[in-house]
Amino acid sequence: MTAVIEAGGLGKRYRRLWALSDCTLSVPAGHVVGLVGPNGAGKTTLLGLATGMLAPTTGTIEVLGGRPAAGPGQLARVGYLAQDAPVYAGLSVAAHLRLGAHLNPDWDAELARGRIDRLDLDLRQKAGTLSGGQRAQLALTLAVAKRPELLILDEPVASLDPLARREFLQDLMEATAEQGLSVVLSSHLVGDLERVCDYLIVLVGSRVRLAGPVEELLARHHLLSGPRRDPGSLPDGMQVISASHTDVQSTLLVRTSGPILDPAWTVSEVTLEDLVLAYMSQAAGRGRRNHLEVQR
Amino acid sequence: MTWLTWQQFRVQALTATAALAAFAVLLVATGPHLASLYAASGIRGCQPASCEHLASNFLQQLYTAGTYWVLYLLGVVIILLAPAVIGLFWGAPLIARELETGTSALAWNQSITRTRWLAVKLTLTGLAAIAVTEGLSLMQAWWAAPIGRAVGYGGGGTNLAMGRFSSVVFATHGITPLGYAAFAFALGVTAGALIRRTVPAMAVTLAIFAVLQVAMPLWIRPQLFPARHTVISVASLDSISLQQGGLNGSSFNLGTEDLPGQPGAWLLSSGAVNAAGHATSTTPAACTAQSMRNTPAFLDCLGSHGIREAVTYQPASRYWPFQWTETAIYLALALGLAGYCFRRLNRRLS
Repeated sequence: MTAVIEAGGLGKRYRRLWALSDCTLSVPAGHVVGLVGPNGAGKTTLLGLATGMLAPTTGTIEVLGGRPAAGPGQLARVGYLAQDAPVYAGLSVAAHLRLGAHLNPDWDAELARGRIDRLDLDLRQKAGTLSGGQRAQLALTLAVAKRPELLILDEPVASLDPLARREFLQDLMEATAEQGLSVVLSSHLVGDLERVCDYLIVLVGSRVRLAGPVEELLARHHLLSGPRRDPGSLPDGMQVISASHTDVQSTLLVRTSGPILDPAWTVSEVTLEDLVLAYMSQAAGRGRRNHLEVQR
Repeated sequence: MTWLTWQQFRVQALTATAALAAFAVLLVATGPHLASLYAASGIRGCQPASCEHLASNFLQQLYTAGTYWVLYLLGVVIILLAPAVIGLFWGAPLIARELETGTSALAWNQSITRTRWLAVKLTLTGLAAIAVTEGLSLMQAWWAAPIGRAVGYGGGGTNLAMGRFSSVVFATHGITPLGYAAFAFALGVTAGALIRRTVPAMAVTLAIFAVLQVAMPLWIRPQLFPARHTVISVASLDSISLQQGGLNGSSFNLGTEDLPGQPGAWLLSSGAVNAAGHATSTTPAACTAQSMRNTPAFLDCLGSHGIREAVTYQPASRYWPFQWTETAIYLALALGLAGYCFRRLNRRLS
């Protein structure tokens, strides 16, 4: 199966600032991919490159085996819900559906109408007067009803309240399951993604720090706690992602492919949130150290 | 795409239609009376000797009546401003508004390429821009036809007596308004695509368009075709402007408004030259005696001392070549800008 997103050495620079650098990724099809990272990490840039809204400065990116936005055919295969769910404020909900019908050959009018009815949106209402949640739902309807193979969503729930957030994600999952879509969605909050994603990409400081199926990532990472000791004394093949120490105890988040044999450790499962935070703070720490070195 | 373009353009289109209709009503309500005044003036079928006089009287009558002069001025101002207004309110927001509100991400992720999106928008809105401006111009041309004919017969003496080559008439009649509209529209679109914000793009569009519209009649248009030069005797001048200065009128400045035998020609410059053909402003000593008192005698004296009038002009027959050339220049600029917009959009701006 072709990868939904295949990037090699991908980078994007705005004037002198690299928003994304050296990004090499291969995201398999059939997943709900969570792209997580702090604000300004380059998530929007990566998704912009994947939809062809931006052109890469370096490297290559292929989406579903084709160049992003290369032609009507490629555009039809990818649905995109941009940040803040832009809609035409002056056009009614019904006009948006007609827009979708006019501009997409595979438009599923029944699906679109069904969603609008279920969401209780007034067809005559101007999109500019919809609430944030309703607007996101309308934009999602447009993206889904064009019947794409891949749906890309940029921070779809960032501006929604917790209830609307849950409803939106639930609805997204239903639509995904019904249509057998691949989905890539970004968020700066792990909590949003935890319930819906089975594949995770952690992007920090314009670089990909971690990528893989969620189950595999959780299986490979462990939280160890035990008597205080130097992380350097751990066996080979065990990589410390984060460490915290009290006077007597050490708590380590480690990455390893094999089992933990040392009986001195109490091994516990990591949560997705632990994992993401560990990689984020690792990257942040590295950044800070680099900074200091430069100053010196 | 046509459907979406119409949805987004509806309000502007209705506004423009309303403006055209209002303008038409105004002209239709007053045009027939203007034509009847012309019919009563006796210009039609006039004897060659009296035509100029009758035409001047007619223009004088319109000018003193006030209404027609105001209407004429209003029409001209509307036609001059229409391209700028279109560039500002149709051109500048076309791309910039989409980028500002983020709806470009919605529009450009439907199953239609950006090239097609822009092509439809530019074509439909651009043609509307051309149609509206040229429509205004044609209506005004119909309404003001009697005035134009009277001016053609040599009528003068009022502000209404502007020849076809005068900046105002040239820019509002014929096909030039069409070129201005296309250019101003494309300029607005390009500024919007570059600046990505509507209001600054509007300001830049207005500034550039205004500069070009001033530069065109002053410096560019006269150069479009090589001007002709001729030297004529002072005695044959019939519309002169004479200034005298210096001690006892020791210097003079002689200009002319039209060229005998070349009705409707566009005079670019005129001035006295001496027998050797060099420009001169020194009154021959023998003529200073007449200078202040008696203009005909002064002119005779200048003539008898070999002073003649040199005139640089464009003949009236070049009116349409000028119109076509200028319109072609503006259309070419508009197409160039549109081409740039396509390239820019395809280099993925978002």
